[in-house]
Amino acid sequence: MSSALRIGAYALVVLVAGFELVVFWLMLHPDVPPDYRAYYIDKTTTCLNQPVAGTYALGTTIDFTPDGREAAKPLRVCGWEGPAGDGNHAVGTSARLRFVYTEPATALRLELRLVAVKKDDQPTQRVTVSVNGQPLGTLTVTGDPPQDFALDLPADLVSEANGHIEVEFDLPDAVQMRPTDPDNRRRSIKLVSAALIPA
Amino acid sequence: MSDALAVRTPRSLPLEAALLAIPVALACAGLLIRFLAYAATADDPSIASFAAGMCRWDCQWYVKLAEQGYDGFPTPTLINAGNWAFFPLYPLLVGIVRALTGLETIVAATGLSLLVCIATARVAWPLLGRNLRAYTLFSAFLLAGPFSIWFTTFYTEVLFLFLTVCVFAALQARRILLAGVFAALLSATRIVGCFIVFAILIKIWLRHREAGGTWRDFIPAVLKRPDWLLAIFIAPLGLFAYMLFLHLHVGDALAFSHVQRAWARPTGNPLGFLWQALTTFPAQGWIPTPPQQLAVATLVGYALAIVLLVRRQYAMAVYALMCLTAPLFAGMASMLRFTAGLAPIPLILTQLLASSRWLFAIALLVFLASGYFTTIGWLTEYLSLV
Repeated sequence: MSSALRIGAYALVVLVAGFELVVFWLMLHPDVPPDYRAYYIDKTTTCLNQPVAGTYALGTTIDFTPDGREAAKPLRVCGWEGPAGDGNHAVGTSARLRFVYTEPATALRLELRLVAVKKDDQPTQRVTVSVNGQPLGTLTVTGDPPQDFALDLPADLVSEANGHIEVEFDLPDAVQMRPTDPDNRRRSIKLVSAALIPA
Repeated sequence: MSDALAVRTPRSLPLEAALLAIPVALACAGLLIRFLAYAATADDPSIASFAAGMCRWDCQWYVKLAEQGYDGFPTPTLINAGNWAFFPLYPLLVGIVRALTGLETIVAATGLSLLVCIATARVAWPLLGRNLRAYTLFSAFLLAGPFSIWFTTFYTEVLFLFLTVCVFAALQARRILLAGVFAALLSATRIVGCFIVFAILIKIWLRHREAGGTWRDFIPAVLKRPDWLLAIFIAPLGLFAYMLFLHLHVGDALAFSHVQRAWARPTGNPLGFLWQALTTFPAQGWIPTPPQQLAVATLVGYALAIVLLVRRQYAMAVYALMCLTAPLFAGMASMLRFTAGLAPIPLILTQLLASSRWLFAIALLVFLASGYFTTIGWLTEYLSLV
């Protein structure tokens, strides 16, 4: 190899190594939104918020089985998988729904039809429901047949919501179905239907 | 002449023509076998719908990737599983072929995959000891065998296999820098392609030892060879280029790894996963469960890697062991595909099966027959083929 070629090759080595070092530095400094970081990098949540529209007409019962797939899709913010035959399955330790409506409302009732995922050592599932960050109560879901729940939303919460309701389900009893299931595969409930009914 | 060369070409057929004719004939046979299986399972089979009908599981992700490129964040379909886990080189090539020919994506991919398979067989000729029986079996394995469903549709395995074979052929020809160039492409094809740098290092070490070098003067000797240095540094260049793209596109150079969370892949001890899979017995009957089949495939892969070690093919052996072990940290999923698509494994397997005439004949028949049955399994979504 001629000396000019050798020098050229060494220069190329330096260039390639420099490029790889720069990419390595970028790798250590991701430039991502907080939701991305929390779900993919820090793994502090199993619920990756998706910018769904939440389009909803008050009083409508949304079917979360495959028959209601299209109507349910804009309401699913995170933590849901499916629909399967028996509804949308919550995966992970929390899940969210979004309801965005244009009708005037002073009082609302949240209606849910739920089924618990049962495992031998976990026959029931507790579900803590919060609306726009305010806890509404804890439900105990026992399994088939589906159970109906109704939770009244406080009037001040409804008036402050301004047509935008975020329902969060905390799932403290979510279970691993298999020993190797990661946290974002923990199972707890199946959502069959949901509705916001003017009271 | 050794018994290994017992399958002779007809006197009128020059070797080069035979080396082309064998994979081409097996490509035709493979297409026929898979079409018959497709016709036996599809509701309304036709030649026009064959390529699309064979596209299952990840193939559909690759088609979408070749057509629409990489997802941003949030993903267009508002799901957690962005397509960043799929490495870019093969979808990019298929996208180029599609743009140049105007063909439907899956048709372009199928055609390109067949050509790449034929090229893989041809490049592998010196790695197969220039043994026509092994060459025939290797061609059959790729083009008409039980796992041809991956190599002839739209999976990245075919390019991964081709580039791996190119690296080892270049190393065998003592062309280290050329091996580095192929390695760079390999690292843009699948993440485990990065491990090929260890195969290159081993070959450099062996060259150093041949020249009377010791471990003490190894690094100074490498530093004196800019072509060797360049080969080592460019080997992972494809990965780094993809990482730069991901940083610019979604802000996370490691998005291909981080997105595994959305696929719910567990992480754990490979031995634990292997044992768990082996002991997942069928609830009834005697047919091994998909986890057991995956575990057996993995163990066969390890056994063949050990055969490579015993045969002092250290570069291939170490590379195979690394590529088998790395995905095991995320469980058993796809281990059959990863094992079958790992070039050193079919290379050594077909050489072993070519060691006698009767074994060769049986192996060829088994390959062709199982090509039909695995295609049926593929089309009926048999789990261990994912």
